[in-house]
Amino acid sequence: MSSAAFEFNGVVRFTKIGTTYLAATIVLAVAAVNTGNNALYIGVALMLGSLLLSGIASKGGLKWLRAEIGGMDEVWAGRAARGTLRIRNDSRIWNVRDVVITSEALAEPVLLAQIPRRSTVETAASFLFLKRGLAHVHSVDSYTRYPFGFFLKKRRLHVQNEVLVYPRLLGEEDAAQQFQALVGDESSANRPGAGSDIHSFREYVRGDSLRHVHWKKSASLGRWIMKQPDAEISAAVHVLVDPYQPKGVPDEAFEEMVSAAATFVFFAVQRDLDVSLSLSRTTQRTRENQSATPLFRALALLEATREPMHQIVERNTVVFSCASSSPTKTSVPVPASGLMPGGAGGDSPSSRGASSR
Amino acid sequence: MTRRARELETLLLAMFAAVPLYFTDAISTFSLSLFHLAMTAIVLRVVFGRGPELIPAHIMRWLAIAYVPFYVVDAVAISRSAIAASTHLVLFIAAYQPIESVHRSNHAQRILTTALIFIASLATSTHLTIVPFVFVFAFFVFRQLMYLSHQETATVLGHEYGEPPTARAAGFYLIGALLLGALLFPLLPRLRNPLVRGFSGPLAGASTALTDTINLNRQRSTPQDATIVARVWIDEEARPYFTPVRLRGMIYDRYDEGEWRQNLRGLRQVPSRSGTHYVARLGGYEHGATMELRTMKGKVFLPPGTYQVRGIQTLYEGAAPETYYTYDDGPLTLDLRLSTEPQPLLQRSLRARFPIGMSGYPISPAVETLAHTIVGEEQSVAGKAALIEQFMLRNFRYIPNDATSLPKSLERFLLFDRGGHCEYFAAGMVALLNAVDVPARIAGGFYGGQLNPLTGYYAIRREDAHAWTEVWDGTRWITFDATPASLRPGAAKTNPLMVYLAALGDSLTFFWDRYVLTYGLGDQIELFTDAITWAGETVTALRGRVRSMTFTFSRETVGAAMAVVVAVGLVVLLIRRRRRRSFDFVAEVLAAQGVQVKPAMTVEEAIRQLQEQRPEAAEELAPLVALYEEEAFSRAPDAKRSRSLRRKLAELKT
Repeated sequence: MSSAAFEFNGVVRFTKIGTTYLAATIVLAVAAVNTGNNALYIGVALMLGSLLLSGIASKGGLKWLRAEIGGMDEVWAGRAARGTLRIRNDSRIWNVRDVVITSEALAEPVLLAQIPRRSTVETAASFLFLKRGLAHVHSVDSYTRYPFGFFLKKRRLHVQNEVLVYPRLLGEEDAAQQFQALVGDESSANRPGAGSDIHSFREYVRGDSLRHVHWKKSASLGRWIMKQPDAEISAAVHVLVDPYQPKGVPDEAFEEMVSAAATFVFFAVQRDLDVSLSLSRTTQRTRENQSATPLFRALALLEATREPMHQIVERNTVVFSCASSSPTKTSVPVPASGLMPGGAGGDSPSSRGASSR
Repeated sequence: MTRRARELETLLLAMFAAVPLYFTDAISTFSLSLFHLAMTAIVLRVVFGRGPELIPAHIMRWLAIAYVPFYVVDAVAISRSAIAASTHLVLFIAAYQPIESVHRSNHAQRILTTALIFIASLATSTHLTIVPFVFVFAFFVFRQLMYLSHQETATVLGHEYGEPPTARAAGFYLIGALLLGALLFPLLPRLRNPLVRGFSGPLAGASTALTDTINLNRQRSTPQDATIVARVWIDEEARPYFTPVRLRGMIYDRYDEGEWRQNLRGLRQVPSRSGTHYVARLGGYEHGATMELRTMKGKVFLPPGTYQVRGIQTLYEGAAPETYYTYDDGPLTLDLRLSTEPQPLLQRSLRARFPIGMSGYPISPAVETLAHTIVGEEQSVAGKAALIEQFMLRNFRYIPNDATSLPKSLERFLLFDRGGHCEYFAAGMVALLNAVDVPARIAGGFYGGQLNPLTGYYAIRREDAHAWTEVWDGTRWITFDATPASLRPGAAKTNPLMVYLAALGDSLTFFWDRYVLTYGLGDQIELFTDAITWAGETVTALRGRVRSMTFTFSRETVGAAMAVVVAVGLVVLLIRRRRRRSFDFVAEVLAAQGVQVKPAMTVEEAIRQLQEQRPEAAEELAPLVALYEEEAFSRAPDAKRSRSLRRKLAELKT
């Protein structure tokens, strides 16, 4: 599927059929002039009428279209995101058909077979943004050959839409390398969590799973006593992203680093790890069953700084920085399983820029 | 609609486009039937799901190559007409393309070929009945085009054939296109190419009283052909003198080698002055008439009493005396002056060379005896002619279409059968008159016609062809008609309903002929002149009314009214200025920078162009263009933003 067949400068273009039709009309007009045959003039008048009507209809049809974009939840740079495209035809006269919508934001052109007058058509569309951050979709282009296919008519439709695009996710394989465990890392975190060791005991509260009942204590005390597991240190990870972009480091390298960080966070969340993300001045944290959206939002909006910043790096912190030249493996749990969101695809995985300190 | 149904529609449309050709004699019925036969076979194959390959495609390709030299042979030797040969070629292509479509998508070409066939039909049709054909054809072509447009869009995007437009949509666009076409038709300039000879409606085929000679030993017929030949408007007060209408085109005044022939003496230009042609001299009561006439191979049919003709560029007498020809093309609208006793313009020298007298018919003693018996002691020419006419009217019977009976000699008609068609009556009367030494001749043309009560004209059709007798009384030719009046052409239609329906149909045909077929540059000039005249008259009337009003109003009132008008004008100007689109302002600024924003160009493209030519100017203008786009595409209008943009643009301009 290609939008190249539709894109052109200007607002109208003659199609092959239209050019042939126009040539036939001119030939017929010449014949009419040469012979003075009014029957031919009827033909010429009708053909010109059709040509005129075709132009009026296609212009009138597109003129009253209004576009809206919506329904996009998670949008990752470089990955097609499903959304909805809503087109309203405000015309009182023209039903418009075979409308093709293209845009830089659309992964592929959308064909709307019919938009009846004074009605709205909603269709699923695939959007594609190449860069992270706040993307503004100002317009989409609408094209139609309707009704007779003589012209390809174009009209730009204004849309007001802001989309937060999360960083590009790199491949899973290299990201998985980040999760290789180191000896001694699987120690207690000494705080309640989702680990396997018992941190403490507590009373039963409504909603607790029977899996966590401590039967012996419950039997001896005559009431439900629950085991409170300890949070494993290896089930929590602290990610630090250094926004410093030294001079001479290209923007692509910085973006790559952000992508690597986002990929790491993504897979960490996939593995039910508690993730803390520290940026220049803020730290965001996500726990089990909590949404990681704030973390990705922060990464999406991260801007490079030109001055190095002072940061305290604790043990078990994974640092992403484009200033670092010798990346080292970090200490995080071995992934049990991990799936990329939205299926496979994207650029080759990379762990460049990640180091432990 | 399924693909098969669509394919069938395409095939049937091509067949339909060729149907009017059966009625226009543009090409032979044989070739048309062959085309329809082939297409029917293809249709049947498609219906039964076998594909359109009536002939294997590779053989058809060779046939197509072979058709190229055949086209030349057809044009030179078979059809002897480039138009007919070209029509044959288009029909061949139309039959070839469905077979080709199996291997190559050619739907658009097929629609084009079908359109060409229909244009051939349209170009050779002169009858009103082509109109419904145009409607039906346009409807289906629109449907096909809409389908094609839909398919092209879907294919480019890799979609399957989806929801093609409906018949209702095609109907909607048909009405729109017809309305626009009707508006455009009178405005398309009728500027004729002076180097190309024009087209005139075909009126092929001979019929009674219209052939070059009359041979009563050969079978003759009067075909039922309702094609209008002429329309004649005669004022009511003049009708008693000049109706039933006769239009004379043939004069058979010589009997030679068993045939009644015309005395040919070559073409002679009819004397004219200031666009008026004089074919005779005024005599007796005179009155004007208007006639719309379709010439037949250049022959002009005129009522026998005509002495002046206007509305024609060229008029020649000949090749026979008192018959007329023209080189003017197409239907003519003539202003005629008619008189009851027109005097001939024939010069003495010509009369000496072509003496008015006997036809040379060998009169047998029995016929001579019959003639003398009829006229008795009558001495005057008119009296003798009247007696013979009365005798024949009473004692002879008219057989309208004598095609079924065997031809007979004039003697047999006069002495034994006493029945036949109009040529027998005309020739018999000439023979009887010659037998009593009265100079007479046969006149051929059209007679009677039907008075159309809706439009007030006499419609003369081809089936009104008739022959009558003209008698030379020493100064002029007097018309006599021995054919019983009740049995003459046109007399059979007595049912009032049929007469009314015929009149209604004829009125439509008249409007078709007058305002469509014969609509020309003169009508366009008249239309524009009328429009200008109407506008001028309206302005004058308004001015007069305003002038008369100024006397009734006081000076103060007029002053106040003027002030209001000026104020309203200023407000309108202001609003118009304010309503001027921001685009125009931006375009002006860009134009000042040397970039013209053409009709098919967006501002973005223009700024890109400017960026290439003058980057510093583009940089300066870029924020304003962004502001413009924000305004142009914003959903809610923002007056403040708009004002700001315009102010900034104005500053930039200055």
